[in-house]
Amino acid sequence: MSTHETPAIGVSGLRRSYGTGAHAFEAVRGVDLDVPAGTITALLGTNGAGKTSTLEVIEGLATASAGTVRVLGLDPVADRDEVRRHTGVLLQRSGFSGDLTVHETLRMWRATVTSPRSADESLAMLRLTDRADVPVRALSGGEQRRLDLACTLMGHPDVVLLDEPTTGLDPESRRDVWRLVRGLRDEGTTVLLTTHYLDEAEALADRLEIMHAGRIVRSGTPAEIAAGHPSTISFATLPELPWLPHLDARRVVEERGVTTIETDDLQGVLTDLLIRAARHGVRLEGLEARTASLESVFLAIADQPQSRHETEGALR
Amino acid sequence: MNAAISLPRVIGLARWNAVLLTRNTLTMLYGVVMPLAPLAFLFTGDRGDRGAGAAAIVFTVSVAVLFPVYYNLLSQFVTRRDELVLKRLRTGEIRDVELLAAMALPGVVVAVAVAVVAVPFALALGQSAPLNPVLYLVSVVATSALFVAFAFWTAAWTRNAEAAQMTSLPVIMLAVAGQMVAVFPESAQRWVELTPGAAMTGLVRSSWFGLEGSGTERTLDLADTWAAAGRPMLVLLAWTGLAVWLAARSMQWEPRT
Repeated sequence: MSTHETPAIGVSGLRRSYGTGAHAFEAVRGVDLDVPAGTITALLGTNGAGKTSTLEVIEGLATASAGTVRVLGLDPVADRDEVRRHTGVLLQRSGFSGDLTVHETLRMWRATVTSPRSADESLAMLRLTDRADVPVRALSGGEQRRLDLACTLMGHPDVVLLDEPTTGLDPESRRDVWRLVRGLRDEGTTVLLTTHYLDEAEALADRLEIMHAGRIVRSGTPAEIAAGHPSTISFATLPELPWLPHLDARRVVEERGVTTIETDDLQGVLTDLLIRAARHGVRLEGLEARTASLESVFLAIADQPQSRHETEGALR
Repeated sequence: MNAAISLPRVIGLARWNAVLLTRNTLTMLYGVVMPLAPLAFLFTGDRGDRGAGAAAIVFTVSVAVLFPVYYNLLSQFVTRRDELVLKRLRTGEIRDVELLAAMALPGVVVAVAVAVVAVPFALALGQSAPLNPVLYLVSVVATSALFVAFAFWTAAWTRNAEAAQMTSLPVIMLAVAGQMVAVFPESAQRWVELTPGAAMTGLVRSSWFGLEGSGTERTLDLADTWAAAGRPMLVLLAWTGLAVWLAARSMQWEPRT
């Protein structure tokens, strides 16, 4: 259905607003995004960054106020039936009737799918076989999430859209989901997922798209994203270090009793710092040196203030 | 949005909605048991009395469209909307219309089944067989369709499942008032006759019993029953059009905040 030249998911100039007039709030403010076929892309961002709002438009559950979305080259709204036959969606929060058992729920879902896996295969895939006859009401949160995923994958989807697939899962279930998602990619499935877990994004994604305040602010592999970002050295602030400005730093910040040096040359500046400290007999308490990491980039982005019109509560 | 709806999907999902109807004692009670109860009214009055028989059957049909169809559907829709079950299903291949049809189907089947079961039951108790059984069944199906649309519309402004006990009252009144045309002052009667309940009452009385207006003696023959059905059928269709329009413009798939 898709070649490597055309992305499995293509989004351009996407905007989405909630409400009207004075209460209008633009959650997505011009997102461009290409997800190459057969890869895992993670939309990473803090709560309220616009990840779910973006995903809902790609899923065809919501309409955009501007921009275009193509899934497998098709419009998720106009070509709904065709798109749905080839996609699997996992919502951030969803439900199943508590009075049906796990097995019955899968059979119910199966009735809505064109070429479904068997209920038994789905049970085995998500390690739910021994919970088959338990009413959904009695499942743990992790088990419900796995049942949810089983439905997502029942139709052998080519494109899978996962909204925070592991939020609320215990560590073991999280690893299970990661293994499953990698397995999907290895079979050629395209995966777009949202997460606010950095380790998840780093462990799973071939490509990251960091969202902040309705826009994608960084894209690339974890290494590409960290590159070009300064490394940091920090230590407990000392009253007098006249030689500090002589270091080859991008910036020196003193905040809440901690001095932080930002630099592109971590080894060089750290060596210089330690030599000068030794020469002046200065003891650097709480000394830390860090190479730029996805985490430091992410935190730097998350710390940027959003515009004053924005409220966290307006978004999920 | 143009292709025909998929019957296998509707029936496949409706089957599990029917299973769910039987899993909960309360829904089982008002969805399946309660609609059969009014048949007991056939025991009242003189054996074979046409007026009493008609009253009992009209009551039976109205309970059948109000509970398994209207109230059951309303509370199922609101509960599943609030539990995000509907939102989940809407991410899949099934279309909205199919999803709605699959939810309505079990209740409509119960209503039709009750209307059918009423026939041998009434015969055994000395009532006459339906004069125009086709029209009788069409009337039950048409009335059910109207109450399906009413249920989806009511759900749109029903905050949660408990609130349905209050929000269902206007529609229930609309159905019940129509059965009591005779108790209203003459000036109001011609308006009451335009309610869905009155239309349903007229259709059942004429199609089964050959009764005209509030009479208790058979005055219609088979051909007359078709003619007599025109006006109440139009009333039902007009209400259905209105209810579908209201439901479509206010459809609420996610919990109301």
